[in-house]
Amino acid sequence: MTTTLPRLALAAVSALTLMSSAALAQGTTFNIWWFEGAESAQGLTWTKALEELKANHPDVTVNFEQKTFDQMQQSGSMILNSAEAPDILEYNKGNATAGLVASQGLLTNLDEAFTAEGWDKILNEGQLVLSRYDELGVYGSGSIWGISTYGEYVSAYYNIDAFEKAGVKVPTTLEELTAAFDVFKAQGVTPLALGGASTSGQHLLASLAYTKADDNWVNNYQGLKAPLDGAPYLYAAQTLTDWLAKGYITKDSTGMNDDDAALQFTSGQSPVYVSGTWNLGNFSANIKDFKWGQFVIPTPKFSVGSTGNLWVIPKGSKSPELAREFISLLLSTKYQTEQANNGGVSFGADAAQVTNPVGANASAVFKQIADKQGLGFYPDWPVPGFYDVLNQKDTGLLQGTLTPEQFVDEIKTVYDDAQASQ
Amino acid sequence: MAGSAVRSRRGYYLYLIPGFVGLMLIVIGPQIANFVLSFTAWKGVGTPRWVGSQNYERLLTDDQFWGSMHNTLLYIISMTIIPVLLGLILASLLFDYVRDQFGERLSSFFRAGLYLPQILPLTVAGVLWGWILSPVGVANAILKSIGLGTFAQNWIGDATYALPAVSLVIVWIQVGYCLVVFMAGLSRIDPALYEAAQLDGAGWWQRLVSITVPMLAPEIFVVVLTTLIHALKVFAPIFVLTQGGPNDATLAPSYLTYYHFFTTQRVGYAAAIATVQMILTLGLALMFLWFQTRQAERGA
Repeated sequence: MTTTLPRLALAAVSALTLMSSAALAQGTTFNIWWFEGAESAQGLTWTKALEELKANHPDVTVNFEQKTFDQMQQSGSMILNSAEAPDILEYNKGNATAGLVASQGLLTNLDEAFTAEGWDKILNEGQLVLSRYDELGVYGSGSIWGISTYGEYVSAYYNIDAFEKAGVKVPTTLEELTAAFDVFKAQGVTPLALGGASTSGQHLLASLAYTKADDNWVNNYQGLKAPLDGAPYLYAAQTLTDWLAKGYITKDSTGMNDDDAALQFTSGQSPVYVSGTWNLGNFSANIKDFKWGQFVIPTPKFSVGSTGNLWVIPKGSKSPELAREFISLLLSTKYQTEQANNGGVSFGADAAQVTNPVGANASAVFKQIADKQGLGFYPDWPVPGFYDVLNQKDTGLLQGTLTPEQFVDEIKTVYDDAQASQ
Repeated sequence: MAGSAVRSRRGYYLYLIPGFVGLMLIVIGPQIANFVLSFTAWKGVGTPRWVGSQNYERLLTDDQFWGSMHNTLLYIISMTIIPVLLGLILASLLFDYVRDQFGERLSSFFRAGLYLPQILPLTVAGVLWGWILSPVGVANAILKSIGLGTFAQNWIGDATYALPAVSLVIVWIQVGYCLVVFMAGLSRIDPALYEAAQLDGAGWWQRLVSITVPMLAPEIFVVVLTTLIHALKVFAPIFVLTQGGPNDATLAPSYLTYYHFFTTQRVGYAAAIATVQMILTLGLALMFLWFQTRQAERGA
């Protein structure tokens, strides 16, 4: 017995030594993570670009790991704060995520790379708003810490066949939208599919709030610059309860998530669904029975949307040059065009080469919103944890346990608390 | 002689080291770290800032926290009270009635069937229940197809039904555990007791109340204690089914801890909630153990 323990220890130590020397013998490795789905426009494009990177560097071992949005949302900062961080990864944009890790010194500064790699010729300042974070981790100013290679926005998906059959034209004002809802309602159809317990619930709410929002309101709201001015949200909440009362939305939506709601749209049961461009891949692949399109919720200026998630290079990256090369590949006209052809929202695609109408249209709509500086970002951004608050209060509103006034009071309490204690 | 006895006993301490190291690393260490963190403001990265008892003061006026505590009382009903009662009745039915009337096989079949939810991965079960309880899900589809459409409800999306619906899933999970422990306990009760009672004309219910329950006291203690602890730390079914919604109607303290730790980045505050939970659980467990020891002493 006395000799067994030391022997075991020796064996363990030699096993460890063997393992580490094996790792050294492999030469350069390049570890890359992202969480966009494999079938999404981004996933398809990035996989292809990674193949090209591999071909350009046959001596490098490329390790790709598929992550999920939730994994990065919940433990991303802890991963970046450890030795397990990869050489480059897709990271969630916003103050509470990318801003936090940038301000804690966990990322590589990309100011120099931005000009040296020629990214400045592709991205304009408007597309960099969410790449810049100051010392406190607040977006909009400061150094560049991450690069986005695609756009996102929330719009209304609609069933073109159903609209034509009902003789309804694509609405350009909110009044025309509700008039369209009335036509469908009269036919016994619930016009608007909604995942009340999920993202599409709060995005509809924010889209309605943005119909009453000006530059000042959006800047204050997203920048956490003043206690919440609840007027746009009150209007949104009142409109939502009104729509509920008129039967444009079903009360059952509080028990539905986005997958359920999307299914109501793709199966043809509801002719309208308000959600983001991340549905494009799913709808392109799965809607076979009818023609569908998108229109932007009529607002004076702002739409819910932003540039996409960021490519960031962790501080401890062992291959920052390769990481930069990969970002350059994704921003190149070749892969921007590829992305649009996969149905994605591209910044720098060669319009003449884009054959996919979905990607061409989405890229054009994004450009239209971005060019008028109309990206209002997402409603959950300003306050960490606001995503869940908005979901909870949204369901309260939809099931009638909260009045619009109570709804605004409750989200204002959380917002103002975070605003005061920042 | 005495010296060598002590020396040989000392040798045994060596065997305690692995367990002790594990306990320190996995239980005691994190517990202390959690307790210390509960007096700080920390975002999960960077340096924690000392804030004294601020987190605990905030707890006192946090409606979400008190709401989740109130829900815990209701979760105790669905995780402890109903499963224990149901488990007791089912166990004695299977043991005392089904086995006698229909044979060992059928009794084993039911026992295994009722235990099945315990071995199913909770996430899988949760997703399936989500499909069943969705407003456009299986439950409502069945109700509508048999003409009971008026009973179709927005099960997990309406505050009136969400907590009962989640509770139903929890009862479904918990009953098997209670049942199996109780059936194991029943097998050590002398069958002569039942025979004698039967000869004296005692019915099934009388046998349950007068023989089964008193004889099963130790098992009941264990099951009540463990299920109570389950109830105080319930997380997974809520996470999978409702995320605490709608409008916090099914929120539990563990979910609130998780929410603050991972999404609001109020790690210190999450640690304070976890500490309160830990103290409650520990207090309850100690109280129960003390009560049990006293009962056992009386019995002896």
